[in-house]
Formats: sequence, structure tokens, C-alpha cells
Amino acid sequence: MTAVASRSTKRRAAVAVFAVVAIVAVFVVRLITIQIVQADELNAASFDKFSAQTSTYGLRGDIVDNDGTVLATSVLRYDVTASPLSVAAFDRTAADGTVSTVTPDQAAAEIGAITGQTADQVLGILTADPTSNFAYVIRNIDVDAFRSIRDLQIPWLYYSSEPQRTYPNGAVAGSVVGFVGSDGSAQAGVEQLENECLAGSDGLETYQRGADGVAIPGTTETAVQAVQGGTAVLTLDSDLQWFAQQTLAARVQEVGGAWGTVVVQEVKTGKLLAVADYPSVDPNNVDATPAEDRGSIAFQAPFEPGSTFKALTAASVLDAGLANVGTQVEAPYIFTDPNGASTRDSEFHTDPLRLTFAGVIQESSNTGTAMLGELLSSEQRYDYMEKFHMTTPSEVGFPAESGGILAPWDQWDDQTNLTTTFGQGVSTTAIQIASLYQTLGNGGVRLPVQLVEGCRQADGTMTDVPDTTGQQVVSAQAANDTVNMLETVVTGGYAKADLQIPGYRVAAKTGTAQMSDGSGAYGDSYITSLAGLAPADDPQYVVSVTIAKPVTIESALAAAPVFQKVMSQVLKENRVLPSTEPAPDLPTTY
Amino acid sequence: MTNTAGATMARPRMSLGRTGSAQPDFDLPDYDLPGERLGDGLPALTPRIEIVPSRTQKRQRPKIAYAAVVVAGVLAIVVTQLMLSIGLSDGAYEISSLQQQQKELDRSNQVLTEQFDKLSSPQNLAASAESLGMVANSAPVYLRLSDGAVLGSPVAASGTATLTGGQALIPNSLLAAPMAASAAEAAAAAQAPSAPPATQQSTDVPWQGALPSPITQ
Repeated sequence: MTAVASRSTKRRAAVAVFAVVAIVAVFVVRLITIQIVQADELNAASFDKFSAQTSTYGLRGDIVDNDGTVLATSVLRYDVTASPLSVAAFDRTAADGTVSTVTPDQAAAEIGAITGQTADQVLGILTADPTSNFAYVIRNIDVDAFRSIRDLQIPWLYYSSEPQRTYPNGAVAGSVVGFVGSDGSAQAGVEQLENECLAGSDGLETYQRGADGVAIPGTTETAVQAVQGGTAVLTLDSDLQWFAQQTLAARVQEVGGAWGTVVVQEVKTGKLLAVADYPSVDPNNVDATPAEDRGSIAFQAPFEPGSTFKALTAASVLDAGLANVGTQVEAPYIFTDPNGASTRDSEFHTDPLRLTFAGVIQESSNTGTAMLGELLSSEQRYDYMEKFHMTTPSEVGFPAESGGILAPWDQWDDQTNLTTTFGQGVSTTAIQIASLYQTLGNGGVRLPVQLVEGCRQADGTMTDVPDTTGQQVVSAQAANDTVNMLETVVTGGYAKADLQIPGYRVAAKTGTAQMSDGSGAYGDSYITSLAGLAPADDPQYVVSVTIAKPVTIESALAAAPVFQKVMSQVLKENRVLPSTEPAPDLPTTY
Repeated sequence: MTNTAGATMARPRMSLGRTGSAQPDFDLPDYDLPGERLGDGLPALTPRIEIVPSRTQKRQRPKIAYAAVVVAGVLAIVVTQLMLSIGLSDGAYEISSLQQQQKELDRSNQVLTEQFDKLSSPQNLAASAESLGMVANSAPVYLRLSDGAVLGSPVAASGTATLTGGQALIPNSLLAAPMAASAAEAAAAAQAPSAPPATQQSTDVPWQGALPSPITQ
């Protein structure tokens, strides 16, 4: 081997080595760029290509009544959108395999037949902006309509689902259950009260998908866990609620009243079984009801209760030991206080009525009640009213619930001092009146008013269970005596024919209150009411009825039939056995 | 291969580095030379040397069975892997189709639940009961089993004591369509001669036979 040849070989080898090194270097640099420098960017880009996200629904919880009947629930509704840009004729394969071409006109007619739109309307949506890639064809359709449209096999339609609220029982308890806005936010009633319990939150799942969109096994990751809303369990009984609403509505319309309420409460538990308002809202169709009629009158509207309030005065006086059921009063037509304030009975009588305390209640004598009520000082009576919760909203905490209107005793003028004994000059809600009678029926122990039994979580545990500790407001003796006095209203009062329930002893009080005209004086319309307990020998249920501004009957007789019907229904539905002992025969006159 | 018997090895070793070379890696003793030296026309004798492998070396010789096991193992792994992949992706499609099926069933369930809730609403029940001619009796009577006492005074319900009196005052916008349908059905039923209106019947139901009484005491 010559030296020249050897050198050339070496040179060739060097060139080859250099070339190899250079190429490897290029690859190494590229590798580093891809694997390290651009890694994040490329990963993200690739992730976008094959990863997909789906949101999992955490639906808003149900509102149910005391036996589980659904009053409010969440369902999925569907939006159908189109891409006007790609609207064109398409081929449809029928079930038997034949292929036909469908023009956009035909498709629009077919969609319209399902959604109730005209073909022109649908076509209008599709052609409004032919350059657009998005247009709503129809929103919020139900499953059946969605399936029908999907079966049309239109390639330029897209579908999305959205949770919506529905109220299967319509206006039954509508004003109590409340409603949500179009964005799903709570706006009224229990929906708002229990929003924290009901609200769910949507979750998010990510996965990687293959070319045909199927998830690659093992790539599904839950980014955000969906939380299902809890179930708000109410104390209401939806059947009774319907009955109360139906009976009330029929009566209010019959007597030409403006509005009315019925409250049914369980004496031994403080649970509200029915809270009927008229007018009431159908939460499925909130817009059909004027804005001012969408709330719950029973919780939110205080009114001067009138004579049903006399039960409070009676119980207070009896509890203080200043009188008993037989205490005798000479009740004049007009009673004038030494300080000049005066009041009169609702019906004229020349001679003073010689009444016992029970007789004062039976006759509903304003002057008699005022005279007996004045046995207590204003401060003492105010204290009793406070203990009976006449100055504070109930424990329910209903949205915008009223606590009544009552000035502190030291701000009462002489007239108010008198009128507060018989329920004028003081405003209460229907709920507060029901709670007053609950206390009297329960041996003087006032139980917290309950509308919501609690929030049942997805795992079955009950949370937010309300406190049920009662408070002794008046002595059991005073409470029982008051109930016995109230019974004389049903056995001998002016409305007795409309109040008696065959087989049962009933204790009730009528009320016909003058209504404020809104400018500080009394107008010429009345609020008629009835509140009572049955059976009187062992009170189980309170029914309190209010009808405002009746036209054809301006006394408690307007409300009495509603009381009688609802109480009968309550007793029947709850299998309360008829009374066996006769009513005590309390003397009412002397 | 570690050769523990290297020190006593007398056999030509075929190292890996020399694969293919059959040359012994040691110098043969010059047997030829003496032969040549001996000359005498005798053909040169190439002595055939064969080294008897020791027992250890015999044991170390690779056996075909091992190779077969390894190859088969690798194959098995590859095949298993393949089947697993196929199974997984089959599963993925199955999951996908089952999920789709579940979605459809959930939808059907929702439709039926909605319909059920709607039909069991008090408004619908009352209307249906009335269309069947049912009336409500507000005077319940109880039979106490312990002593057979009848509590309450039985009063026959009047034929007109319907719950709503024909006025459905509590709206339910969900019921609009089904109500119309049931009304049409009721109208059709009323026209059918086989369904006489219940309200025209006597409210007294004649009892046949002995009164039922509990037989347990």
C-alpha cells in the first residue's frame, strides 16, 4: 500500500465521519428542539387534537312534599342549532335502505311540523344570515321533539341539552315552592329559601378520543366532580294543599274577594301541612301571573287580623290569673276609657250585654274584650304578644317573610291601647295567626313553625333539620280554657251553622276586621277570617282562613265554609277519630 | 459464557470475537516437522485432536429447548399484548355504545317520569275522578275493631258533591294537552251506551250476603 493511497483513504474516512457526525448533530438538535424546547407547545397542540371534554350535569335537587310527591324537579331540555352556512340538500337513508334527497325547504317543513313553527319561519332562521355558522332553530324542546328532529337525519343540525326546572303539580303550592329564573337562579319561595341545599354544580370530564370519537380506554379523567343538589323535603301535604287552594279559590271567586289564604298547621309538631294563597302562581308559567301575585301572601302580607286575635288577649288575661272563663262583664255598645279613647261593638245594642268571659268570645264583643284586656297593662300585653311571636317572622325564614307590624307598647296611643286587644292597630301574617292557635291547642307550648323538614343529601342523610324545641307561652290551663271558650263560638256563635263538623268538636274564632285604606285610615272593606282547632277535646290541627275584601258577604261567613271544608278534609285525610266527649257547657251570659 | 474450567482447558476455544474462524487459537506443536524430518516418503500425519469436554462444559452447552421456550414466550407475550389491545378497544366501543344506550334510556326514563308526575298531580286526579262520576263524602265513619263500635254518623254523599264542582281553579300548564285528551275520552265514554253516568245511580249500594267481619280475634 502506497502512502498516497493511504492518505486518500484516510481523507475519505474523515469526510465520511464528519458527514455522519454532522447529520447526527442535526438530528440531535432537532430532537432537542422538539422534545425540550417546543415540548409544551406541541403537547398542547396534540392534546387539542385528540382530547375531548364533556360536562357532567350536577342537577338542581328536587323539592318534595311530606310523602315524597315531587313539587319541583330538574329535567333536560334540548336546543337545536343549525349551521346556515352548510344548509344544503342532503341524502336520507330510510329504514328500508332507500336513499332520497331532501331539500332545505322540505327539511324546514319537517322541522316545523315537529316544533310547531311554520316552514317559512324555520326557513327564515336558516337563511337569515347565510354566512353564519350558528343559529338557534328552536330552544327548550322536550325529549320527544328532540328525538323526532334527530330522526330526520339532517346533517347541518346540532343538538345540546340544558337542565330546566319543571313543576309537575303546577300551581299546587306554587307560591310556596317559588320558581327559578331562565338562567336557573332561584327567585322566590322555597327555591330561594333552600337554594344552598338544592344547588348542584356541574362537573367536567376529559378524555382522549380516537379518530371516530370513541374514548381511548384509560384516558378518562374527572377534572371536576359533579355535585348533585340535595332534596328539600317540605312538611306540606300536596293533596291537602290542592284541596285548600281549590276550596279557597272557589270561595274567593264566589264572594268576590280580592285575595285569600288558608294555613293548615299540625298542633303537636308545628308543621305546616298546607299554605294556600289566592291568587297563586303556576311556576311552570310565571309570566302568566302578574308580578305582585307571585309571592306567598300567607308569609309575606301582614294584615290587621281582627277578632281572631281576641284568643291571644283571652289567653293572656287567663294566664295572668286576672280572670276566668266565668268572669262577668257588662259590655256596653260603646266603651269609653277614662283617658277618652273609645271603641264600639260591631252590632248596635241599647242595653249592655251581660256576658261571661266565654260569652265575650262567643259574641265577639269588642267592648267586653277591651275591658277584660285592660286588666293587663300595655307592657304586659305587649310581652305576651312578643312571646306569641306576633312581632317577629316565624322560624321558617321564608324569603321576604313579614313579622307583622306592631309598635312597642310605650309608643301606643290610647286608641291603639284599646284596639290591640281585639286585633286592630296590629298587623300579623296568616302564619302568625295559625301559630297562635297552635300554641293554644298545644297546652300553651308554642312550637317553631316548620315548612321545611330538612335537606336530604345524595347519600340519604338529612341536614338543616329545624329546631323543634317548644316554648311555654301561657299555662296549659289558660290555653285549654281559651280553647273551651273558642268552642262556644262553634256551638252558639253567629256562624255556627257554617262551622260545625258532624261528629267532631271544633273550636274556632271568627274575625271581620276593617282594612286599612293604605293612608292611615280605615277603608270600607273588610278582611274576614276564621281560625280554629279540631278536635277541640284534643286539638290536632289548626286551620286559619282569610278572605280579603269580600263583596257579597262582608262577615266571617265568607270564610267559614272554607274553614269547615278544609278542616273536614284534614280530619278525614288524617283519620282523626270523632270526638266522644260532649263539649263543656260554659255559661255565656248571666 | 464464563469458563470456570479455563485453567485446565485443552480444547480449542471459540471466543465470540472470532466467530466463524475455525482456527485454533494456539500454535500446534510441530508434529509435521519431525515427520518431514523423518521423511522417508511417509505421508505427513495430521493428528486428530479432540478434546473431551468436561462435565461442566457439557452442562453449559446451550440447549435448543431453552431457545424454544424463550421464543415461544416472546411470541406468547406479543400475542397476549395484541389480544389485550383488541379487547381493550373492543371494550372502548362497547362502553361507548352502552353509554349511548344509557343516555337514551335516561331520556326515556325522564319522559316517563315527567308524564307520571304530571298524571298523578291532584288536578289531574280530581278531574279524572269527576269524569268517572266520583263524589266525595265529607262525613267519614270509623269502625273500631276492638269493640266493633261505629264512630261518626254515616251520611250518604250527595250526587253533586264533586271535589271541584266542575271548576278546576288551580292551573297546571303542564296538563293542558293531556287534560283535553282525557276530556275527549270522557266525552266519548259518556256517549257509549255501556257506560251510564255514575251520578244517576242510587248512592245506596245494596249489600249482598253477610257483613264481612274480621275472623281473627
